[in-house]
Amino acid sequence: MVEFTLWDILRNLLLAARWTVGLSLIAFIGGGLVGFALLIARLTPSQGAHRLVGLYIQLFQGTPLLIQLFLAYFGLALFGIQTSAWTAATLALTAYTSAFLSEIWFGCVASVPRGQWEAARSLALTFGEQLRHVILPQALNIAIPPTVGFLVQVIKGTALASVIGFVELTKAGGMITNATFRPFTVYAAVALIYFALCYPISLTARALERTLHAAHR
Amino acid sequence: MPPIVEIAALYKSFGETQVLRGVDLNVEPGEVIAIIGRSGSGKSTLLRCINGLERFDSGAILIRNKQIDHDRAAAMRELRQQVGMIFQSFNLFPHLSVGRNIMLAPRLVKKRAARQGEEQARALLARVGLEEKFDAMPDRLSGGQQQRVAIARALAMEPAVLLCDEITSALDPELVGEVLRVVERLASDGMTLMMVTHEIGFARKIADRLVFMHQGKVHEMGPPEELFANPKTSELRQFLSSLHN
Repeated sequence: MVEFTLWDILRNLLLAARWTVGLSLIAFIGGGLVGFALLIARLTPSQGAHRLVGLYIQLFQGTPLLIQLFLAYFGLALFGIQTSAWTAATLALTAYTSAFLSEIWFGCVASVPRGQWEAARSLALTFGEQLRHVILPQALNIAIPPTVGFLVQVIKGTALASVIGFVELTKAGGMITNATFRPFTVYAAVALIYFALCYPISLTARALERTLHAAHR
Repeated sequence: MPPIVEIAALYKSFGETQVLRGVDLNVEPGEVIAIIGRSGSGKSTLLRCINGLERFDSGAILIRNKQIDHDRAAAMRELRQQVGMIFQSFNLFPHLSVGRNIMLAPRLVKKRAARQGEEQARALLARVGLEEKFDAMPDRLSGGQQQRVAIARALAMEPAVLLCDEITSALDPELVGEVLRVVERLASDGMTLMMVTHEIGFARKIADRLVFMHQGKVHEMGPPEELFANPKTSELRQFLSSLHN
């Protein structure tokens, strides 16, 4: 039987952690783009768009991410679309992230006083100009801390992708445990790596919150 | 010359509450109109209808012979360039410096070149007595200064008529004077002004015509001296006497 040193375990976990980081980034960027589109749709006067976006958000916020992953993985296969664990995980996490980010951002836009819209409108700015030059720059300031904070949720959320066989940090932990029979050591290492990823982000979010608060007094 | 603003049979409700019940009012070029009345009489709603911030239910508003039509975005944009608005709460854009607050709309809407825009902004700031504040951020200014910047910002669009919605109501008493002096100068420069105000003394001094609104209608109007000397309706009499207490 092969002996695994602690370094072997760590090395393999770190290799797998690259996939956690990759999946998180893709979900975050993809979710950000989709979330932004949803936000704009929600800000236009169209009632139909509001309802559709509302439904989308309710759907992805009201069901567990785990189930969304299952649905993306097995559901698409039912329609004859062969998905890899990678595609399914990306799709599900992007959808999940977009729903939450658009909700966070909508709250930020809503917190910009109504008078700002009215002043922009009374100066004959178009809807797009009102958003681009008056509303979004102000909402952005408020949005950065919670957005960065949500990145932590996304990183931890990627652990669920292990159940559909996507080999990221958690899945790799399971596989290494099976080979080494040292579950505590392995999962402790896994937890440490997650923490090392998330903690600096949390700190950044908090620092941003402080500086932005200071700017607005 | 035809009137700048023509309002005919204007009705507006918020849900069950009728706020405007058939307002008729014409404003001539260069005229200074002060709109007075109790709160809830529809004064602010009337102003907000004139620059399209509020939709009205029926009736018509014409600005320089062009009808307000909310369903035509391009026409509304055209129209809003004719009608400037100053708000009770200033509504300066807090993320932009004073100068950029003033230059934003001319640059976007009137495609004014940067050089020209800056010259104009500096000239307007001088006009409201704030030439040294070009690079200041709005939150560094007092309320009175912010409101004067807001006036300069509205003027930058070269509107035909300026609407003032209780523009001194959010100010500390000692800051009211500086804003009123700017408005007074605008009036004497020939700007067409429609202002909703609680500063009755000021209204009396600079308005060509006083409009007393009551229950969503123009209840009485005329030159200030005439209205103050002998109000024809008991409502206006009551309103005026309530001010003296």
